[in-house]
Amino acid sequence: MSQGQHAPGAAIAFSEAQLGEVRRLQGLYPDARGALLPVLHMAQDTFGHISLEVEDYVASLFSISPAHVHEVVTFYTLYFRERPGRHVLSICHNLSCHLAGARGIIEHAKRRLGIEAGETTADGRVTLLTVECLCACEAAPMAQVDDRYELNLTPEKLDRLLEGLR
Amino acid sequence: MAETVLMRNFSNPDSHTLDAYRAAGGYTAWDRALEMEPAAITEEVKKANLRGLGGAGFPTGAKWSFIPKNHTGPVYLVVNADEGEPGTFKDRYLLERDPHALIEGMLIAARAIRSDKGFIYIRGEYVQPWRRFSAAVKEAYDAGLLGRGFDVVVHRGAGAYICGEETGLLSSLEGKKGWPKIKPPFPAIKGAFGQPTIVNNVETLCCVPPIVTRGAEWFAGLGTKTQGGTRMYSVSGRVKKPAVYEAPVSITLRQLIELAGGVTGTGRLKAVVPGGGSAAILTANEIDVTMDVDGLKAAGSMIGSAGVMVMDESVSIPEALMVLARFYAHESCGQCTPCRESTGWIYKMVHRIVDGHGRKDDLDTILDVAKRGAGTTICAFYDGAVGPYISYIEKFRSEFEALIPHA
Amino acid sequence: MPKLTVNGKPIEVPAGTNLIDAARVAGFEVPHYCYHPGLSIAGQCRLCMVDIEKTPRPTIGCNTVATDGMVVNTETDRVRETRKSIMEFHLINHPLDCPVCDQAGECWLQIYYMKYGLYDPRMTDEKVHKPKAVPLGPHVILDAERCILCSRCVRFCDEITHTGELGIFQRGDHSEIGLFPGRELDNKYSANVVDICPVGALTDRDFRFQVRVWYLDTTKSICPGCARGCNIEVHVNRRRPHHAEGRRVARLKPRLNADVNRWWICDAGRYGFGFVDAADRLQMPVRQQGGTSADTTWDEAIAAMAAPLRRLPADEIGIIASPKMSNEDLFALRRIVDRLGIRHVAAQVPPRAPGDQDDFLIRADKNPNSLGAELMGLGGDARTVIEAAGARRLKFLWIFGHDLLAGALPERDVLEALRVVDTVVFTGSNANWTSAHSHWVLPAAAWVEREGTYTNFEGRVQRFRQAAEPLGQSLAEWQIVGRVLAALGEPSAATRAEHWFRELATTVPAFAGLTYQLIGDAGRPLAEAAARR
Repeated sequence: MSQGQHAPGAAIAFSEAQLGEVRRLQGLYPDARGALLPVLHMAQDTFGHISLEVEDYVASLFSISPAHVHEVVTFYTLYFRERPGRHVLSICHNLSCHLAGARGIIEHAKRRLGIEAGETTADGRVTLLTVECLCACEAAPMAQVDDRYELNLTPEKLDRLLEGLR
Repeated sequence: MAETVLMRNFSNPDSHTLDAYRAAGGYTAWDRALEMEPAAITEEVKKANLRGLGGAGFPTGAKWSFIPKNHTGPVYLVVNADEGEPGTFKDRYLLERDPHALIEGMLIAARAIRSDKGFIYIRGEYVQPWRRFSAAVKEAYDAGLLGRGFDVVVHRGAGAYICGEETGLLSSLEGKKGWPKIKPPFPAIKGAFGQPTIVNNVETLCCVPPIVTRGAEWFAGLGTKTQGGTRMYSVSGRVKKPAVYEAPVSITLRQLIELAGGVTGTGRLKAVVPGGGSAAILTANEIDVTMDVDGLKAAGSMIGSAGVMVMDESVSIPEALMVLARFYAHESCGQCTPCRESTGWIYKMVHRIVDGHGRKDDLDTILDVAKRGAGTTICAFYDGAVGPYISYIEKFRSEFEALIPHA
Repeated sequence: MPKLTVNGKPIEVPAGTNLIDAARVAGFEVPHYCYHPGLSIAGQCRLCMVDIEKTPRPTIGCNTVATDGMVVNTETDRVRETRKSIMEFHLINHPLDCPVCDQAGECWLQIYYMKYGLYDPRMTDEKVHKPKAVPLGPHVILDAERCILCSRCVRFCDEITHTGELGIFQRGDHSEIGLFPGRELDNKYSANVVDICPVGALTDRDFRFQVRVWYLDTTKSICPGCARGCNIEVHVNRRRPHHAEGRRVARLKPRLNADVNRWWICDAGRYGFGFVDAADRLQMPVRQQGGTSADTTWDEAIAAMAAPLRRLPADEIGIIASPKMSNEDLFALRRIVDRLGIRHVAAQVPPRAPGDQDDFLIRADKNPNSLGAELMGLGGDARTVIEAAGARRLKFLWIFGHDLLAGALPERDVLEALRVVDTVVFTGSNANWTSAHSHWVLPAAAWVEREGTYTNFEGRVQRFRQAAEPLGQSLAEWQIVGRVLAALGEPSAATRAEHWFRELATTVPAFAGLTYQLIGDAGRPLAEAAARR
């Protein structure tokens, strides 16, 4: 599956191989629609984020109305409707992380990155999010960075982490 | 302490591999189950007093027996790996450290309910657990354990707590928003894709192989009269050693906190959330309760997902409630009116109180609104929200009132 | 048929009846929003809670099927308190828009609050804000703040029109009804969502800000837009003539008929009433000769018509009736045809392009009474009459309603026909090219201004009723024809359309046995149509 952003203006389309994967996924479910979430993940991995055009395209692969794809995309938090930064830093602010000082970590992140939660740095490097329980409370405060969990955060650890994000 | 059942393989760094699992005696339960009648497997699970470990605590064997006997079409086994209850992290460990235990549990459960297809719904944020589990599934297919009468589809969620609700999960599995379904019909009658379905938690299914190999009596004997076995308690917050601890379900909360090294911060216990964010909070005087389904129910709370969050004297209860109220407002799926409208409103009120702009009637309004909404919704999400709304305010009212001018 | 008790009253209902409908059978209202008998069950609003014996908590009525021996209570204290709570939940974020909202007076938040709410509101925080006054399509406008998220509109677009334009996006109290960005709500039944929206979230663009609903009078009628004959209500504004630029007909609404249109109507039918109050309505008899046009009287016009009718041989007279005329109009006209032995009679002017038709309600035949005309022996293609006229075989031509240039008749033939025929009489409600080129113009009352019956394409005879007074001196076609008959020496005793119908029913075999009473509000199939079922 190819990674990366889609060039602006380029038509939104999966490759033949990817379409084969779509069909394979659809075949796993008694109703092909069950493959919608996996295919949206695939689309996000391929095109970088789920634009309206991507929604429309995915809808055509499933014979459901674009409105119903839009419902799904706007319901779940992991689908980005606008291009996120190259890295996504999601800091948990639920109860155990709160008890462990999540607020301070979040404020530190905001200052270091110069953005509010929900925003992306001007250079497109990092999107900062505050999220609900990631279920790693034994290592609070913690965050999800892209695909991995970063545990037992301190301001220093966060600084080192951010330096490593190019 | 009692023996380790669920976490028995964790100390091995390769515990997630088929070889390691087999070497430790894995898949012998499945061999055993293959010689049992499906109904006999269900009976064994019933006798073991296994209760659901995801949150609702429903007797697992009873649930399995709800599948209609005369159904001729497909029956689905769905594993709820959408762990999301604040304070809970046990399933994450099982998925990463002992995926084959779950696969074996799925195989046995599928045989009991006569299912040839299973889906596992893993929350989207659990990327590493997903990769680990998917690798284990591949190993199982390659070894001929899966694909011979039982297939597994690994399905990733996309970020919504409500997909941990049984029928919200099913809606999401079907490719829709995670809106819970109106009941009746219940999933065992009409579940995933309209077919009879059993939804079980990860940990619940991991209990099944030990029950089969060592017997229902043994499992039942580990626990209380109404709930058998051990379970994994996720302990976090103001404790010395936040971690997952396995103990018989008869353990008390006091003993559990001691296991976790005792209270940090001021060192003085103020309150404990015993069963995940949706459980009613217990004061420091209420910790001599057994951490099983009926024990906590009698104490006016619930064991839920066994997510234990410990608070010392320095913790602000109003702030803690605000954090949870924000969570419920954010995670309300929006389908039904009482939850959709009041979770947002209550969060606004609690936030106002914490900010010092609370009004005299706010606390009673929150309590009244919560009580009026409880029991009126499509699913138990709102009842889960009501747990903290009511218990935090009723048990720590003076702390809230202190924040309200002229209260 | 399960037997159950509702509030102590024993009733019996068909199998599969839910408790909202069962309670209604027993005479009790169970308030609800998301339930609609024509759509799937949603169970979202939570307002329809009832108490069922042996059930610990109140249960929603819409999703509970009545079973034998069930004991239901819809008026317990607990149910009343629950309703109050649910009303409060619905109004937490609802904007205080009543003064500017079209739904006022027929809004189910207002109605149910007054009946079941009446609590002291205590929500003083900032409400959630959402888009307001968003046109969704040509006919529907959305106010997302007012929306109570009952999902009726979403289910309508999924289950009835199968077009899926609408969805509920996001979650929690930020949930919002909407279209896929950039799309339109433009299916042919789009405005039905306005009817089923319990509140002012989806409102009618045509009706927006026109007149308050409590000034409207309602009359049961039939849509004349096509051969389906959807049952409707005509809402007329009599009391505030200075509103809506003096339009009398404010709007049409579909009326439930389980055998014809159920709860629905197409947009074309719903908005097809514009001609009733248009500026080109014909209001006076007019004489047009030698380039001049002058108002005249009915007496003069009728007399001027009767003379050639009496004088001319039958085969020099042509009549182009209309499948938009009622059964009564057509039957009265049949009297003249029979009396004079007229042969050149037809009613159908083929349209230029075939009308659209679908597998739901819309019929390609855009006339309400083609079958009636056919049964009355007045069917047939008007082409033959025009040819006879153009070939100078006709000296008198009476045209009902058609604009002969608007159809598929060759323009040259029509022009020639109207040029050479000595006396051309036009009878219709609105002016058109044909009326402008006729010698006599007789104003006909529009369908809302008189009563009568139509026979739909399935052979169902349905009554439409008078909702407004005829404009000016216009008369129903049966009245005009009656006056001509009288001038021909056969005065009719009919003072009401029903009198003509009575004669019709004893004369035309297909209509045997029918009466206005039997037809009622739901219509009645012709004997043969009933036999075919």
